[in-house]
Amino acid sequence: MAVDTAARTPTPAPADRNGARADGTRLPVARWVLREQRRSLTLWAISLAAITAMYLAFYPSMATDEMEAVMAGLPEALMSGMGWDRIATGSGYLESTIYGLLAPALLLVFGIAAGARLLAGHEEDGSLELEGTAPVSRRQLLLERFAALTFGLFVLCAALGVATLVLAPALGMEVTSGNILAATLGLWLFVLAMATVSFAVGAATGRRALALGVGAGLAVFAYMADTIGEMMAGGDWLSTISPFGWYLGGDPLTQGVDGAGYALLAGLVVVALLAGLLRFERRDLGV
Amino acid sequence: MTTTSARAAAADVVIRTAGLIKDYRSARRGRTTGHVRALDGLDLEVRRGEVFGFLGPNGAGKSTTIRILLDQLRPTAGYAEVLGATPAAGGPAVRARIGYLPGELAMQGRETAGDLLEHLVRLRGGRGSGRIGPLAERFGLDLTKPIRSLSKGNKQKVGVIQAFLHAPELLILDEPTSGLDPLLQQEFLAMVREATADGATVFMSSHVLSEVEIIAERVAIVREGRIVDLDDVATLRHHAGQQVALRFADPIRADEFAEIPGVEDVEVTDHTVRCLLRGEPDALLKAAAAHHVVRWVAEDRELEDLFLDFYRVPAGELHAEAEEVVVHGR
Ligand SMILES: Nc1ncnc2c1ncn2[C@@H]1O[C@H](COP(=O)(O)OP(=O)(O)OP(=O)(O)O)[C@@H](O)[C@H]1O
Ligand SMILES: [Mg+2]
Repeated sequence: MAVDTAARTPTPAPADRNGARADGTRLPVARWVLREQRRSLTLWAISLAAITAMYLAFYPSMATDEMEAVMAGLPEALMSGMGWDRIATGSGYLESTIYGLLAPALLLVFGIAAGARLLAGHEEDGSLELEGTAPVSRRQLLLERFAALTFGLFVLCAALGVATLVLAPALGMEVTSGNILAATLGLWLFVLAMATVSFAVGAATGRRALALGVGAGLAVFAYMADTIGEMMAGGDWLSTISPFGWYLGGDPLTQGVDGAGYALLAGLVVVALLAGLLRFERRDLGV
Repeated sequence: MTTTSARAAAADVVIRTAGLIKDYRSARRGRTTGHVRALDGLDLEVRRGEVFGFLGPNGAGKSTTIRILLDQLRPTAGYAEVLGATPAAGGPAVRARIGYLPGELAMQGRETAGDLLEHLVRLRGGRGSGRIGPLAERFGLDLTKPIRSLSKGNKQKVGVIQAFLHAPELLILDEPTSGLDPLLQQEFLAMVREATADGATVFMSSHVLSEVEIIAERVAIVREGRIVDLDDVATLRHHAGQQVALRFADPIRADEFAEIPGVEDVEVTDHTVRCLLRGEPDALLKAAAAHHVVRWVAEDRELEDLFLDFYRVPAGELHAEAEEVVVHGR
């Protein structure tokens, strides 16, 4: 029988708790979560970049006079609502295919699911128990997991943004790099806001299904409200209250960063996170 | 008791609960806002350096108590204290000094057992990193296997190892041996002995007394959220008493043995008397001496039998009975 020789250390004051850890690791929770996600993040990043490249490759065939003629025959409200009125321009095409449709849709699927899973999901399946009973405060646990969520979405948006930055000029899209960066930043903020709402509902309740539902519901509302607001006469206010409107309402692909809209998105992230944290620190875990 | 000795005693108490109450919200589906009372005034004191067994049937409130101590649950009312602070106030600093094995150990993921243990060590600032290898070897755990592919017993090994890794001064173990085969149970007991030899305190829950009585000095039996019995194992053995059988030359009248102090569960079948004897046999012997005794058998009852008594009797009656037992047990 093996003999355990390690001596029982006399209880050290856990002074090293926040500062330098013995093996120099910081943010151990976030690192672990990202490590668990590394395969899926890599696949998602590659897929998003590939889909972006594929759609951009179609642009030269869209930017033709025949296309303009086809579009001219469609009802105006539908055209502007879907952003098709400008589809033959580089920025219009980018917005109506990637930035206004596919990218948010795909990223929301990833972000809302990840937001619901990273806290409530792991709490429900019990894998949060060992972490929550380690010398980690609930606040640190939540914030590190949120950091992992933020970083994961950043990686995905970066993959998409880089693909656009590289391909847009090559295909003659006439969108400035600065505006692509601005739109990508807005995309990241928008998806992060929706994912954070899902994350926060999970943090507050511990229910993954509820977190998913609220996150997805809000995202659908945001998209519908903005789209209907664009199409409907006097529906501007709908776009004004829609987080999707905060993201694309200022036309970042032509106008650059929309300070007010982006600030609202960032504000939503902070408010949701704080509300979730407040409840998370007080409630029972794993019930 | 003087103030100083009270304070000295308090310093030696590692876990204390007083009137601990915990309600769970229930009946989510029925939309009624009912509550399930899982703990109903639980009083507990675990002293430094002891091995304390926390026993009770399913749903008695063992895991609830333990998860309150680890600050996973917040008490509805009453008081709990671990290593000198309430779980919420003690926070990470106190949890750094505890090794915890959850009762429902859930581990998922593609990461390997070794990576998970490294991760848990990092959460503790790297303490115990050097013990992962030796402990895994000791328990025969393959560190290179993905966690989700491990069998129940192998997951339990990971759980046990992570609780002991950082050589904590307090071990809180919720059904530690569940899923371990007998050989590993022995290994686990050896680990507990080594830990206590180094001064650690062990608080462990279980369904079965036999598992705990070997190493525990004191045992509490919990039912329906209350402690119904608290004793050192030696006293518990005394309470368990002896199963006595007397065979006589002539037929016996049942009422002769009915009212003897310390004698219970009398069963008379013409020549034979069977009964449960607690305490001194004197009165029983004197009653028997009035007849011609042919055969005498007295067996120590297994503690498990006593334990089962506590399980079967409705909890309400138990509170009364437990006090009675203590009175003539001491
Ligand atoms: N999350 C929960 N929601 C509602 N009721 C709960 C919850 N967890 C436990 N209970 C109830 O609280 C009581 C105590 O449960 P607990 O898990 O503490 O028992 P236990 O002694 O650990 O049982 P076991 O030996 O089966 O592990 C039980 O009646 C149980 O049904
Ligand atoms: Mg339990």
